[in-house]
Amino acid sequence: MIHRAPSRPLFWLFSQLNHPTPLGARRVITHFCWLTLLVWFASNEIATAATNEFRTRLHAAILSEDLSEQTRIIQSLIGSPDDSVQQILSSWRGGALYWLELNETKSPVVLDPQVDADGNAKAFRVLDGEIVKGSDGSTQLFSPTELTPVDTTSKLRKVIKDTLDLFSIGNPDPVVRRDAITKIGQARELSLVPHLEARLAIESIPEVQNALKEAIALTQTVNPDAEKRVAAIEQLGTMRSINSLSFLKQLLTPTKGQGATSPDAATLQATRKSVVEIENYMFWGNLFGTVFRGLSLSAVLLVAALGLAITFGLMGVINMAHGEVMMVGAYTAYVVQNLFIRWFGSTGLGFDCYFIAALFCSFIVGAMVGLALERGIIRFLYKRPLESLLATWGVSLVLQQIFRHIFGAANVQVSSPSWLSGSWVIQDVLLAYNRIFVIGIALAIVVGTWLLLTRTSIGLQIRAVMQNRAMASCIGVRTDRVNMMTFGFGSGLAGLAGACLSQIGNVGPSLGQNYIVDCFMVVVLGGVGNLPGTVSASFGVGITDQILQPWLGAVMGKITVLAAIILFLQWRPAGIFVTRSRSLEG
Amino acid sequence: MLSLEGVTKTFDGFKAINDLSFYVDEGELRVIIGPNGAGKSTMLDLITGRTRPDIGKIEFHGNTDLTALNEYQINRIGIGRKFQTPSVYTNHTVFENILLSLEGSRSVWHALFSRLSSTEQDRIQVVLETVGLNDKGAEKAGSLSHGQKQWLEIGMLLAQNPKLLLVDEPAAGMTDEETRKTGELLMSLAGKHTIVVIEHDMVFVRQIARTVTVLHQGGLLCEGTVDEVQSDDRVLEVYLGRKKREKS
Amino acid sequence: MKRTSSKAEYWIVGALAVVGLIVLPSLNAFLPTTHPLHVTSFAMSVYGKYLCYAVLALGVNLLWGYTGLLSLGQGLFFSLGGYALGMHLMLKIGKLGQYKSDLPDFMVFLEFEKRFPDSGGLPPHWIPFKHFAFAAIMILVIPGFVAFVFGWLAFRSRIKGVYFSILSQALTYAATLMFFRNDFTFGGNNGLTDFKFILGYDINAPATKRVLFMASCLLLLAVYTLCRWLTSTRFGLIQRAIRDSENRVLFSGYATAHFKLLVFVLSAMICGLGGALFVPQVGIINPSEMAPDKSLEAVVWCAVGGRASLIGPIIGAIGVNALKSYATHAFAEQWPYFLGVLFIVVTLFLPEGVIGIPQKLRGWRRRLQGTLPSDPAAPTATPGSESTPKPAQSPTH
Repeated sequence: MIHRAPSRPLFWLFSQLNHPTPLGARRVITHFCWLTLLVWFASNEIATAATNEFRTRLHAAILSEDLSEQTRIIQSLIGSPDDSVQQILSSWRGGALYWLELNETKSPVVLDPQVDADGNAKAFRVLDGEIVKGSDGSTQLFSPTELTPVDTTSKLRKVIKDTLDLFSIGNPDPVVRRDAITKIGQARELSLVPHLEARLAIESIPEVQNALKEAIALTQTVNPDAEKRVAAIEQLGTMRSINSLSFLKQLLTPTKGQGATSPDAATLQATRKSVVEIENYMFWGNLFGTVFRGLSLSAVLLVAALGLAITFGLMGVINMAHGEVMMVGAYTAYVVQNLFIRWFGSTGLGFDCYFIAALFCSFIVGAMVGLALERGIIRFLYKRPLESLLATWGVSLVLQQIFRHIFGAANVQVSSPSWLSGSWVIQDVLLAYNRIFVIGIALAIVVGTWLLLTRTSIGLQIRAVMQNRAMASCIGVRTDRVNMMTFGFGSGLAGLAGACLSQIGNVGPSLGQNYIVDCFMVVVLGGVGNLPGTVSASFGVGITDQILQPWLGAVMGKITVLAAIILFLQWRPAGIFVTRSRSLEG
Repeated sequence: MLSLEGVTKTFDGFKAINDLSFYVDEGELRVIIGPNGAGKSTMLDLITGRTRPDIGKIEFHGNTDLTALNEYQINRIGIGRKFQTPSVYTNHTVFENILLSLEGSRSVWHALFSRLSSTEQDRIQVVLETVGLNDKGAEKAGSLSHGQKQWLEIGMLLAQNPKLLLVDEPAAGMTDEETRKTGELLMSLAGKHTIVVIEHDMVFVRQIARTVTVLHQGGLLCEGTVDEVQSDDRVLEVYLGRKKREKS
Repeated sequence: MKRTSSKAEYWIVGALAVVGLIVLPSLNAFLPTTHPLHVTSFAMSVYGKYLCYAVLALGVNLLWGYTGLLSLGQGLFFSLGGYALGMHLMLKIGKLGQYKSDLPDFMVFLEFEKRFPDSGGLPPHWIPFKHFAFAAIMILVIPGFVAFVFGWLAFRSRIKGVYFSILSQALTYAATLMFFRNDFTFGGNNGLTDFKFILGYDINAPATKRVLFMASCLLLLAVYTLCRWLTSTRFGLIQRAIRDSENRVLFSGYATAHFKLLVFVLSAMICGLGGALFVPQVGIINPSEMAPDKSLEAVVWCAVGGRASLIGPIIGAIGVNALKSYATHAFAEQWPYFLGVLFIVVTLFLPEGVIGIPQKLRGWRRRLQGTLPSDPAAPTATPGSESTPKPAQSPTH
């Protein structure tokens, strides 16, 4: 039999094995793998054993001495439902098809890729797929070195290759089909155009149709007929075919050698026009993608900064451990994920629900850490904001080290549930589902926070304490409790931000450090305790950062953002939105 | 000497000062009263450069545009302010508090290389005597009582020797005796200095005021002597219900 | 500053000077290496490092303790000073580097000859650093200039308190990122290292190490004296007034921004000097020395020693670093816990730092003996707390 590369689901399973999953889960996966393998091998055996018309034709082609006949036969094999035909062709082209001379007759065979210790392997006959057996009925083994390969010429190999390429355009999987077609288009073989056109006539899936049209047009760019060539180039332009951009650009650069067939003026003009069209399209596409990534980063930043802004706005306390609470949230998501894998395995509905649970847990755990921090340390330092900054920094050091001890210094793997992996494609731009989800969560949190602050009695109390602590305390607001709850809420938001971040970034002990400076910048930029300010500042910072990154690199992009913020504060020292105060030391 | 013309200041849509015009003459002692939120402190903020008007002119000596200057520049041309809450340097001694406010160069260089001269020392002594703190010179300002802090701040104002003194609620938190003494102090300063006082305490106002200006909702309600103002219908209406006829 | 503590302070400083300038160098120079009291050259360098950190702590404290500006970026200025001297030392390695080239090793490695062909591979801004005098001036000028620009922008727009801290941290963070880049021409990740000579002397010779140690000690004394003088002038009064009530100072006619700017620039220069002496003794300067964490650590030293005094930061810097040297050998894993907890405990229970302990003890003893705590100075607000008394509005109308 012929071994072929494992199909996609298998690959996925194998790659899962490399992840550190709990032992039980791994055993389940392993069993499952073996089972699948067995089934697959068995079915393959049956397929190869069957003799059919296609095999007979292929056999004839191999035996034939005439190239044109061979070509005719091979091309007639296109569309064969038998996978083994394709594999034999591929072996032929690769020189792995051998002549077996038994009883004065030459018959072509392929060798099993599984070899024994001496490098010998079983052989299968092309004609019927039977294993070659000795006279005594036992399986005979052959070494590739002692067999003569079936001759091929470069022309024949070309024919086989083209045929093989065309094989895939009839593949039942539209994705495979589309990819194959794109590849054929890039080969730009005019002889293949009729095949593509034939397929186009019967193709029903729009995406594949598009790919076919693109491939045909791309191939037509080498058509000697100038009119067809120009039409094809123009078509590529209107199709905004990103795949053909590099080929079109090649047309524009003067070709060296090749008898210098420099294109005519009409072709050049059409090409230039199309290149501009495609590049414009790509520019906007890229920009859109960048803005989208910026949005998702901003969303995380927003959730984190919102918590920071609330605690800072309320108490004038800068919590340097805020980033570490984010880290705690992210690790909570990791732990929840592992628990779910232990309970439900690493696939299926149970596992897919883990992220929802993780969001809740992260909020709760973050809030608990915040409460402990407030009760244990910060409440003693309300009158000394600068010192609370220092004490919370001490807390951040301790928290980081604790997590380094428990989970190790390396990043841990938090995988997306299946409904968050993959992406939504609009106009060649990939919008990853997990990023979309994060944006959605952030918006929900902002709305929730806004409602909490403006529509509930606790929100009213919070705002009262924010504006005038002494007065609020006088009219019976239990400022102590409000402080505690607000701090818990703010930290809970940080925990949530951490969980969101686990979907789009790395989770490690220094996660908090990487985001805290950005969070601070957002709070400074947005103005203290100011919801719209925080929202616009985080989007400003996040998107600017992402837009600048491709141009200036990650580091310079960040530095530019920092510089921009400092300069911005020259213009509006109190941030985007100003909250005024009447006291002397405002 | 000081003129505000058509000044308007808006905070988040709320008109704290609304088309206010206000004039003070040289050597005058002017008292400003008005209910809470009338814009009294905001007016002082505008004069001292703490906030800037949206529209309108603020001029000093008829030629200096105060809206173009910042806080310390305004102070340097001779406008001193005492804040509503006593703001003294609590970790400095009383003596040092006055020293820092003393009239003279405010440059960094001067601060680095000048030594305390005997004239300065004498002048500080005079100021301390004027505000009755001459035996407290070595004490930390933070350990003073509330009334003493008020006086210290007035002393700091005197040490600056400003042409115009803006005094925001000098009698707040003082005993009746202290209030009376504060009043006498302010009256003795009038003539040499121009003084604008904001006050709620009508006994105190009656003691010191020659001309009273009533502010209401960011605008000028009326101006006149204490008796004129107290019998003015509009003033009564503004204060009605919220204010018993004087504490007398 | 109370008189009694000042007296103790002079004793401590005097003792420090004697030990640093006479005793330790003598023990190093004149005792045979086998003698139990012999101080090794390695130890000299380590102590020298502590003294440089003490200079940094004084710089931090001049800002934080005396002006109320908590800068989380003083480590940046320290490193800038270090880099300035490091650049000079790099150019004095000559052909003794690994690549036997006149260029510093990392420039050969990164193929600077292609990037800067006009100057033989040396980036143009490195060229004047061949002269020690230029480098020495730059040790002051570069940190001073950076501080001036940042301070001017920050103080002009009245950024203060926690905002100032955060922005200074952001500045440091940005600078660290820059210095980590190879194309920033300062050695990237690895920084500057493998120095051989300073002013023509072998940098690893015991005598050189001894002199560097003594220089650090002198620098510390000089900076201490400068700070002591500064805080005793009217400038010092204004400085502390700004710390306690900046607006009051502003409304008294002082351009507080100018005062703060001067202190900031001065502090940056002090830190730069400390960094410059740090580099030849430690033998390396790289971006991790610049990281925001380091600046925060310097703040810890001040807090532990006791800010609002001049001796506190020195005690804090030397003490904490000595402890750190010991701890990173004895229990490296636990050191972050220790540092973190130290920070929390000091802020919560010892706002005056170690030098506040005697006074605290006295207070406890008095309470134990049952004497009335009639000391008026006891319940005063902590310096720098910026707490103004509650507004006392008179509801009299």
